[in-house]
Amino acid sequence: MNGVCNQSMVTGVTDFQRFNGFAEHPAESKKAMGQRALDTSRKESEDESKLPALEAAYVTILRGLGENTDRQGLLKTPLRAAKAMQFLTKGYHETVYDILNDAIFDENHEEMVIVKDIDMFSLCEHHLVPFFGKVHIGYIPSKKVVGLSKLARVVEIYSRRLQVQERLTKQIAMAISEALQPIGVAVVIEAAHMCMVMRGVQKMNSRTVTSAMLGMFRDDPKTREEFLALTKNK
Amino acid sequence: MEYQRAVDLMSTVKVSYGDISAEVKKSALQDLQDHQEQSRKLSEDESNLPALQAAYRTILRGLGEDTERQGLARTPLRAARAMQFLTKGYHESVFDTLNDAIFDEDHDEMVIVKDTDMFSLCEHHLVPFYGKVHIGYLPRKKVVGLSKLARIVEIYSRRLQVQERLSKQIAVAIFEALQPEGVAVVIEATHMCMVMRGVQKINSRTVTSTMLGVFREDPKTREEFLSLIKSS
Repeated sequence: MNGVCNQSMVTGVTDFQRFNGFAEHPAESKKAMGQRALDTSRKESEDESKLPALEAAYVTILRGLGENTDRQGLLKTPLRAAKAMQFLTKGYHETVYDILNDAIFDENHEEMVIVKDIDMFSLCEHHLVPFFGKVHIGYIPSKKVVGLSKLARVVEIYSRRLQVQERLTKQIAMAISEALQPIGVAVVIEAAHMCMVMRGVQKMNSRTVTSAMLGMFRDDPKTREEFLALTKNK
Repeated sequence: MEYQRAVDLMSTVKVSYGDISAEVKKSALQDLQDHQEQSRKLSEDESNLPALQAAYRTILRGLGEDTERQGLARTPLRAARAMQFLTKGYHESVFDTLNDAIFDEDHDEMVIVKDTDMFSLCEHHLVPFYGKVHIGYLPRKKVVGLSKLARIVEIYSRRLQVQERLSKQIAVAIFEALQPEGVAVVIEATHMCMVMRGVQKINSRTVTSTMLGVFREDPKTREEFLSLIKSS
C-alpha cells in the first residue's frame, strides 16, 4: 500500500501546487485528491471480521515455535496478539485529510515553527519487529499555520503501519507540504531498531537517523542549520 | 511447583553438582527441569518454516497490506526466522551451558553481575519487553564462570515469557546448579505492550525480584546487594 501511495503522492503534490493548499479547494475535489493520494486500504469496520483469520495464524505460529497453546498464559494470546497487531497498524485506517482539515488557520507568521521530541513507534516491514524513536518536525508557514498537535497526529498516521524509516520520514514531510503549502518543511527521525538490537547484529546502542528537507530547508543551508541547531538535544 | 520441589529435593540431599556422577546428574536435572525446556529441537526449525511463513502471510493480508509489493515479498520468511531466533531459548538447557564452568574457589563473599541486557517476548501480546538483569549470589566454595550467568539469562529470556516467571527461573537455575548460600535476581524492564499500545505510558518500568537462601532470610545481605546494583 505504501508503494502505491508513493506513486500517487508525487502527482498529488504537483496538482496541489497549482492551487493554494488544502483550504482553498472546493470540497469534493479536495476530498477526491486526498483520497487518491492517501487511500485507506483497511476499513475500521472490517477489523472485527478479520480477527478469526489472524487468530488462527497466531495459533499456528505459537505451535510452530514449540509452545503449548493450551497452557494458561497462552490461551488468549492469539486474540490479544491479533488485536495488538491491528492496533499497531491502525494507520491504514486514517487519512491526513480527515485529521488536518479543520485545524489550518490564517496567521500572519513566517518564522520557523518546530515541534520536536515526538515519540514514534512503528513496525519494521521486513521483520515485523518494532522500531521506535523521536521525530522532530519544522516548517516555515506561508501565512497558514496548523494546529500543533496535528503534526503529532500526522506522525501517528504514518508510523502506525509496516514501515521503512526512510519512507516514514518522507511521507510525513510530504503530507505537511501538501496540506499547508509552506515555504519549507523539515523532518528528522532518530530511532532504535529492535531488529538490529534484539537479533541479527545485536548492537544495543546504535541509532538510525533519517531526514527529509523540502522547500527552503533544502535550498538554503542557513535555514537548515538553524533547524538542526534548535532540535539538537543537549 | 516443580521448581520448589526441585529446590527442596536438592537441599535435602546435600550434595552439589560436582559430586554427582555424570549420567545421574543429566537424568536428574532433565526430570527436574521445566517441561518447556527443549520442547523444540534445533534441527526441526527448518522444517517448521513453511507453516510459519504461511501464517505470517495470512497476518499481513488480514492487516490490509499487499504481500506482493517489493518490501513485503520476503517478509514472511524473515519474520518467521526472526521469531525462531527470539524464541531460541527453547532449544537450550542450563545443564549443557553450565556443565564445565563450575570451579572450586575458596570464596564466600557476594558476587554480582549487573546491567546484563535482556530482551524477551511478552507471552500475552507477542510484543518485546527488554531491560537489565542484576544477578548476585553468595558461593559456597563453588563459583561459576561469569559469562555463564549471562548465558542463563539468555536461555530463559529468549522465550515467550512473563517477567515474574523469568526472574524466578533464572534464580532457581543458579540455585540448583551451584547450591550457593543464596541467590538474588532483580530485573527492571520496559514492556512495549504498555508503551506502544494499551495504556501507552512511555516511561514506566516494571521491576521484579527473586531472593533465595540467605538473601531472603537476612535483610542486611539483601540490602548490600540492592545498594551495590543501584546505578551511580
